[in-house]
Amino acid sequence: MSTLNGAPVDTTAPGHADTSITKDGFKITTRKLPILKAGPIDDMTIKLGIAPPEMIFGDNFMRIEHKPSGWHIEFNAFDALDRVDKTGDSMLKVSYSKEWQQNSSDPARQKQFEDIKEVVKPFDWSYSTDYKGSTPDTPALQPTDNPIPLALLKRPDPIHFFEDVMLYEDELADNGIAMYSCKIRVMPARLLLLGRFFMRLDHVLFRIRDTRVFVEFATGEIIREYTAREEEYETVRKTLAGTREDVLATMRDPNRLAEFIPVVEKSSDRVVLK
Amino acid sequence: MSIGGSDLDRAITQLRACRPIPENQVRELCYKARELLIEEGNVVGVDAPVTICGDIHGQFHDLMELFRVGGDVPDTNYLFMGDFVDRGFYSLESFLLLLCLKVRYPDRITLIRGNHESRQITTVYGFYDECLRKYGSANVWRYCCEVFDYLALGALVTGAATTLDPTDGPIAENVNCELPDSDMDIEIETLNANGEIMFRYARNGDSQSSAASQANSNPASSSPIGPTPSRSGAAGTGATSSANGSTRNDTGAILCVHGGLSPLIDSIDKIRLLDRKQEVPHEGAMCDLLWSDPDEIDGWGLSPRGAGFLFGADIVKCFNYKNDLSLIARAHQLVMEGFKEMFDSTIVTVWSAPNYCYRCGNVAAILELGEDGSNAGYQRRSNGDRGGGGGGWILGSNAGPNGTNDENRRLSSVLGDSMQKPRDGPGRRYRVFEAAPQDSRGMPAKKPVADYFL
Repeated sequence: MSTLNGAPVDTTAPGHADTSITKDGFKITTRKLPILKAGPIDDMTIKLGIAPPEMIFGDNFMRIEHKPSGWHIEFNAFDALDRVDKTGDSMLKVSYSKEWQQNSSDPARQKQFEDIKEVVKPFDWSYSTDYKGSTPDTPALQPTDNPIPLALLKRPDPIHFFEDVMLYEDELADNGIAMYSCKIRVMPARLLLLGRFFMRLDHVLFRIRDTRVFVEFATGEIIREYTAREEEYETVRKTLAGTREDVLATMRDPNRLAEFIPVVEKSSDRVVLK
Repeated sequence: MSIGGSDLDRAITQLRACRPIPENQVRELCYKARELLIEEGNVVGVDAPVTICGDIHGQFHDLMELFRVGGDVPDTNYLFMGDFVDRGFYSLESFLLLLCLKVRYPDRITLIRGNHESRQITTVYGFYDECLRKYGSANVWRYCCEVFDYLALGALVTGAATTLDPTDGPIAENVNCELPDSDMDIEIETLNANGEIMFRYARNGDSQSSAASQANSNPASSSPIGPTPSRSGAAGTGATSSANGSTRNDTGAILCVHGGLSPLIDSIDKIRLLDRKQEVPHEGAMCDLLWSDPDEIDGWGLSPRGAGFLFGADIVKCFNYKNDLSLIARAHQLVMEGFKEMFDSTIVTVWSAPNYCYRCGNVAAILELGEDGSNAGYQRRSNGDRGGGGGGWILGSNAGPNGTNDENRRLSSVLGDSMQKPRDGPGRRYRVFEAAPQDSRGMPAKKPVADYFL
């Protein structure tokens, strides 16, 4: 059973302790706790300089660390949100914004907009982030053309450890969804982590920004791929309408959506740990 | 067939077991509900005592937990502030049960509209799909949407007591602060699902109530386990009088609305004049009432999203003063602690969906307002706005037992009054509860399934 947005339903109440597994010097740790309370949300608001999303899992993280080399990569909500535009320069508008602001048939409404012009604390409220995980300066990842070896990942190797962790989610005041979630699966010889930002602004835009981290335990090779997809809502809707897909259901599921949304940015980097 | 009497009781029994009722019964129920709701004004008058609830969002088993914690209908009077549907897996059962209870006990339960009680929103956020899945057609969804259009936009609670009768219950574990004596004027009490006291706050009996409310506006103090603010001023000077229903200390009315205020609405009478029987519009006063949010700003602001308003403390205080309100209760926003008082306790957010979306881990709360003994002076004139014109409430003889006929300001009569100290808020008892135990939720408890994602 999954929710409308393809997010996992955690029927075990959230709040279990850290889970972790170690493979060949790589330690994988995940933490899954409830959303933040009022006090920590206030602290985060001050530190970030923007209002955090409605559902903020500020204690959660997913972390891969390699003790021998001191390298690690961690995905957490604060660092992801710290990369959201805080100026309002890349602000989106909900689909009915124009209609809402320019209803000239109502003089009272017009008057009201003359009085209330100020947008309060403008920022990118879609919480769009190009976050690729937090890493130390050294050893650093270097740009590469080596792709993640998909064939190795398609093999049905046993999964020794699996976890999914939500970092944040916002319903965009019922105008869609923005969420950052992480999944990891650890097989005997390698692992794959997927950090995903998914945003649907109804009747406006889709965004999927994936960061995949691949680790081959035996060689210490890490490959990180970042893929950003983006398309206008109406274009995607039309494409889906021409398929056998259930349009509304598909538009809620980033896994099924990805193939209908073109890639707008792609980059890869790599490091081999000793 | 007609749904009434024993049929209705049977439907209630079936829905309480989380089993949907047949389509023809839904049609009949919705028809009856509409007949009932059409008689209600845009702002429904409600007498205390009443228990105020926030968003439910189809979390049926948690709604059952709410009734367990707050008392069953009709023993407890309830006021639900909308967002019955969407998000959760049992929107249908939750809404139909509430609607059955409304038809069966119309004076015991009040339902007002949330922004999710709308055709457009429910097609995106789950209720439409759920109806389709459970009935194979959209008919039931359509019947329900017709009911949505008749739901009231707000409620006005009168006759609430200024102080609580302290709960004579055990102290909850982990309470490490000193509770005020129970013979003081108790303004706020927070209880857990077992009725154990988690927090208690005594009203400063004198006019220095600002010190008390400032302490209370601290985010931590609205937390169920927050510290007890220090008692300043002459303790308990108003305690004896309020127990007798003193007029000096009586509380104003409490406005309940799903979202918040609107710049187009400066009086409750203006809400009464709206034409509500329609789909929630994308703009205008009706939209604002269901969508807007309080925020730490001065005056009014536009939401960064390009639609929707934010309003600050000054707006709330001015509105409350002008309309002789002591408190605005609203829902609409998720809060981890289940409730959040803001702006010196002039507005409170109540959230009643624990572990929202089955993954947030938040607690839920309901707000109980007690009955003031001196309520007999008020008469309900008309519950509908047709022909009623102005306010639905008139001031009867409000002489307190001690004989002072203090001409209290009521609703629209306040406009000419000179600024006086704001109304004391009503005594507020919050009951905080967690998500229903897993085995009663009817969902398989399992860890997320490992999948070969790429």
